[in-house]
Amino acid sequence: MGKRSMWSFKFTTASLVLIPTAVGINYIGKFFASLLKLPLWLDSIGTMLSSMMAGPIVGAISGAINNIIYGLTADPISLVYAITSVAIGLTVGILAYIGWFKSWSMAVVSGLVVGLIAAIVSTPLNVIFWGGQTGNIWGDSVFAFLSAREIPIWIASFADEIIVDVPDKIATVLISYGIYKGLPRQLTSIYRNDDEIKEL
Amino acid sequence: MRTLSLYQEGDSIIHKIDPITKIIFVLITILIPIIMGTLNSAFAFLIISLTLVIIAGVIKKVLPIVGFTSIILVTVIIIQGLYYFNNRTPFFAIGTVVFYKEGLLYALEIILRIYSIINSVSLLMFTTKPSDLVEALVKKGLSPRIGYVFSSVLQIIPQMMSTVDTIIDAQRSRGMEVEGSFSRRIRAFIPLIGPAVISSLIDTKERAMALEVRAFNSRYKKTFLNEGTTFKYADVMQVSLISILIISIVLRFVH
Repeated sequence: MGKRSMWSFKFTTASLVLIPTAVGINYIGKFFASLLKLPLWLDSIGTMLSSMMAGPIVGAISGAINNIIYGLTADPISLVYAITSVAIGLTVGILAYIGWFKSWSMAVVSGLVVGLIAAIVSTPLNVIFWGGQTGNIWGDSVFAFLSAREIPIWIASFADEIIVDVPDKIATVLISYGIYKGLPRQLTSIYRNDDEIKEL
Repeated sequence: MRTLSLYQEGDSIIHKIDPITKIIFVLITILIPIIMGTLNSAFAFLIISLTLVIIAGVIKKVLPIVGFTSIILVTVIIIQGLYYFNNRTPFFAIGTVVFYKEGLLYALEIILRIYSIINSVSLLMFTTKPSDLVEALVKKGLSPRIGYVFSSVLQIIPQMMSTVDTIIDAQRSRGMEVEGSFSRRIRAFIPLIGPAVISSLIDTKERAMALEVRAFNSRYKKTFLNEGTTFKYADVMQVSLISILIISIVLRFVH
């Protein structure tokens, strides 16, 4: 039997309980990043891991719930960025399904793709809610620099977002991929989509 | 059991309003100022949501969130005041740096909108018990399984954070340093996140089995532990909030 389609997923109890854990891992990633004063957010490790393990739908739901919970417990504005998190979950799930996570170099390329997609989705939100800024010093300096040269707001805002998002997403994909590779079979096998069972 | 929640006990009228009405209120405070795109609508919603926050008695809790966002909003004023693409009319100047009227007004609109979103979301999170919120959504037709996911997140995060403390202590006792050069700090990330992820995934597998043996997948109709008090004016308020939204969309397209 071949692989089932990546969209056909059954809401097994295992994939359902993976969602809160993914949100928790996101939270911890963000906590460690600020503990170590790293200039990255690293707050989507859980979303990406759940996408790699259980597919794009579970990843997308993890992303959405992550921002809803974060919006309701810490930062209200992050509610609107739930859309970006859904996009990240979907993209990583699809890339994992078509086999892009085979090597470290492919993982870097995947990180680039995820970062670009996250930036494309976030830019309209930044323009609508923040007049184009991201709230990150480096990104906003670029935004100010480009705006001063009368570059259209959409391009300036996209550049602002890319500078923030792409390095963060590449780092997050690499960390998630590294963890995923190291996970024992015992933990990953319950989420596998193929029906094939091999005796050891 | 510890849960992640910002709920503040209280008996104000806002506390008595049902969660669904509050969610609709949050949605319209986000949407209407964007649909209308006017300074007046943004200002009106800020006043309304601020008044409600004061009535609910949670204004002190909202201030830190407002303060945190204000730092970013200062940069919005500077950047838009200087470089907004419609800038025509000089407003004031500091030395040779000229701030323009159009940009400052645009920045003001952004600020009013952001503050009203913060106020309305705060209203929801400070005056609603998370468990009531989830239960209200499930009664409205949200899958109880997704409802479980929401309430479970609020319990799992404090649990995982206590595991994190153990992991930090363990790795420190093995000589890991969390301060120092950038490369040292980034190298410390993996030995911290790795064990946290693995231990939480092992818990996940156990939790799945524990749920299964308690008939989590049963297809029988779920019942509720709490009957819950119904809010008398919920329907009236919800219908009027949604009508306001529809009117604003119509107004926008008429103009």
